[in-house]
Amino acid sequence: MDLTAPLLRAAAARPHILLVATPGGTAARLAAERQLRLDGLPLAPTPADAGILLVAGPDCPALRPALDRLWQHMPAPRARAQARTPEAVADAVARCRIELAARPAPGPASAPPSDGTEPPGGLPMAETAPDRDGLSLDQLHLSLGPFLADWPSGVTVRLTLQGDVIQQAEMGEQPATRGTAPFWAEPWARAAAGERVGAGEAARRRAAAHLDSLGRLLALAGWAHAATTARRLRDDLLDGAATGALRPAVRRFARRVARSRTLHWLTRGTGVLGADEARAAGVSGPAARAGGDVAARYRTWLAAVVRDVERLADPAPLDAAYDEGPRGRGDAGQPPSEALLRVLPGLLEGAELAAARLIVASLDPDPDELAAAAREVASRG
Amino acid sequence: MVEAAGWWPVLVAPALLLAGAVLAVAGDAMLAARYAGRPARAAVAAVPLLEVARLLAQQPRTLPKADRLLWRLGVVTVPVAAVLSVLVIPFGHRAVADLSVGVVWFNAMEVLTWAGLWLAGWGPNAAFSLIGGYRFVAQGLAYELPLMFALISPATAAQSLGVGDIAEAQQGLWFAVWMPVAFAGYLAGVLAFAFLGPFGYPAGRDTAAGVLGETAGVDRLLLQAGRWLWLTSGAAMAVPLFLGGAAGPGVPGWAWSALKTLLVLAVLVWSLRRLPVLRADRYAEFAWVVLVPLTIAQALVPALVVLDR
Amino acid sequence: MDTVRLALLAGLGVLALAGGVLVFTCDSMARVTFALLGSLCCVGGVVTVLGLPYLGVAIVLMMVMEMVIMAVFMIAYMMNPAGLMPMSMLHNKRGSLLVSGAVFAALVAAVLLTPWPARTGPPPPDTTFQLGKALMGTQMLTMLVLGFALLATMVGATVLATHRGRYDRFGDDLGRRQARDPAGGGVGR
Repeated sequence: MDLTAPLLRAAAARPHILLVATPGGTAARLAAERQLRLDGLPLAPTPADAGILLVAGPDCPALRPALDRLWQHMPAPRARAQARTPEAVADAVARCRIELAARPAPGPASAPPSDGTEPPGGLPMAETAPDRDGLSLDQLHLSLGPFLADWPSGVTVRLTLQGDVIQQAEMGEQPATRGTAPFWAEPWARAAAGERVGAGEAARRRAAAHLDSLGRLLALAGWAHAATTARRLRDDLLDGAATGALRPAVRRFARRVARSRTLHWLTRGTGVLGADEARAAGVSGPAARAGGDVAARYRTWLAAVVRDVERLADPAPLDAAYDEGPRGRGDAGQPPSEALLRVLPGLLEGAELAAARLIVASLDPDPDELAAAAREVASRG
Repeated sequence: MVEAAGWWPVLVAPALLLAGAVLAVAGDAMLAARYAGRPARAAVAAVPLLEVARLLAQQPRTLPKADRLLWRLGVVTVPVAAVLSVLVIPFGHRAVADLSVGVVWFNAMEVLTWAGLWLAGWGPNAAFSLIGGYRFVAQGLAYELPLMFALISPATAAQSLGVGDIAEAQQGLWFAVWMPVAFAGYLAGVLAFAFLGPFGYPAGRDTAAGVLGETAGVDRLLLQAGRWLWLTSGAAMAVPLFLGGAAGPGVPGWAWSALKTLLVLAVLVWSLRRLPVLRADRYAEFAWVVLVPLTIAQALVPALVVLDR
Repeated sequence: MDTVRLALLAGLGVLALAGGVLVFTCDSMARVTFALLGSLCCVGGVVTVLGLPYLGVAIVLMMVMEMVIMAVFMIAYMMNPAGLMPMSMLHNKRGSLLVSGAVFAALVAAVLLTPWPARTGPPPPDTTFQLGKALMGTQMLTMLVLGFALLATMVGATVLATHRGRYDRFGDDLGRRQARDPAGGGVGR
């Protein structure tokens, strides 16, 4: 009896999906996250766990090798699709599932080719360097990005680790994409272009952006329930739910997360960014207002969300000088996310690896803004 | 009295353990569906089966310069140790083998997961996977001593290391009632050696699933099964240690064992999504400075009571 | 002693020996460590078959933890910490052969020449109790001295090895301020 066909059909009933957003693909990512949540399809944290590679967002030539590497690392049965727009998501997922059930694409023949960071054969000796405790320790070079679960896609940080301590962090180059305006900062961009935008609409977008950031931070902190709640509230906001319908759930969520002693215990003292230091580096928005550690930043987000939910129906025109975008003000053509990236290496150096992802998620630079900025730099020079 | 009966429990005990683990996975999937705003339909109960099918159909992974032997050894060790651990746990009034040193046996099997997970992290020759393996060792150094003292407390009160004797010694008053710290420490230990929920640090999302990150197919199935088998085994062990074993009015002993085990399991599964992951760099200091003295003080209580008897 | 036990003893003994041989023939530190662990687990089995289940299971328990921690340290101290380059456990072959041969001969002689006491009466049903009484009764002083000696060795070795690190709170000068620990511990120190 051939068991393969029924097994494959059963496997296609609930495939794990590696959702990768390219810079500029926030809208498509949100649509995909929403649909997968409602369909009950789990998001895979690594390619080894995934059956479907779903790329959300526009093409990005600079990131194509990284995408191919992810595909190389996926075991058979596997399928791959790209959803350039939010509308294309449902179709892409459905196509992949049919493909999985029918005749799976062959997996990588044997060992996936090395990505160049590790020579396959005789490994070189690890170099040693003095560490801050006055010992001579081995160094491990490790890159975070450009694609990781709950990571601003496209951002690459090259780390030099000694034990679990980050001795050095360097930012990689930002990939530029052709694409639309950054999704989260869109009301502000339209207002800057002279269009009349309601303050309520901007508040809605900002609250959703903060909830999106909170969802990532909480998922990385391993608090599955709170992360799911944040994402549900975000989707409700983007669907246009009214203040009255959202208020109780948002308040309950904000209270639970802000008052969680465990989360505070786990995040306090990590990634401390003082208010003056932040302003000097050009950081504005919640990160500058919080003026403290990871815990201060997520509490600032929570307070902002609670405030914004009250203003969803505000008909007054958006005043960009008073109402900042989700990541702050973009001064002199520089998006606020660039300033967040600038302070990142300083915050990462000296932190332990376990805290590194939390620090990045607590600043949550927007890949859309970064890609747009990189595009401008490319077109200028 | 707990008795060992024939050869058939050797087959029944693992089957019961597996059934408990399947229920736990289904319950977890049900909770996930509810939190995500999906109707918790009966189809959710099929999630464990679909996962097994998916992993069986999936191609196992090969990586350059991986230590295949040690990798596979580690992956197999985790579920096998979980199954071996239930040999001493009585179901109703029967255990596969009611060893005179049952508690130590359970502890030794649990410690085997240290070796298993370290090997599973070492084998694939990948940085995040290795970090996951090391994280489990760090977590182990933090949770193991409080867990040992939590195991010793009921053994001291019963003046025996046999699991059956410990269940027997709780006529009237459950150990959970007058040793709450040991009970809490034990339940935290169960989550820790199952590396699930708040103790899922070795497979943390921040290191791309850590020790699970490079596994696929049957390897992944075994490791994941090991986690849930351990959770179930830990819940089953809590019953004779702290909740009076199979004693109870009305229904037969095996029904009480099953009921109590499922209740403990339900509490554990409910807690999985309710707390953030405790990072070892914070938890280790807390465990050594707060939990170890607390559980030692707790172990002193039954020692004094026994001396006074 | 019945035949089943004899066969078990022989089987476990051979496996323990095979593990010991693997320790010196494997070329990766991880494999060496776990070959040693396998060998020690067999020794635990031998002790259990000899009628001391507590000691046997406790040997397995302690050795698993110990070997995992040893693996971490041995790999950390290796010239090539990745541990993927072939390495050898054999150093100073002639000297070590001489020493190990002498030790083996002495042990065998001791086994054969010691006047072992004959058993009087049947073995107790629960040897764990007897073991506890011996350790906590007649041998109490030995165990206490041993415990303190081990603890003093560990603390002493750590103090001698560290100069001043992030886990070092005061050093030898109690008036000194605490070292700055950028990552912070779990109870706010």
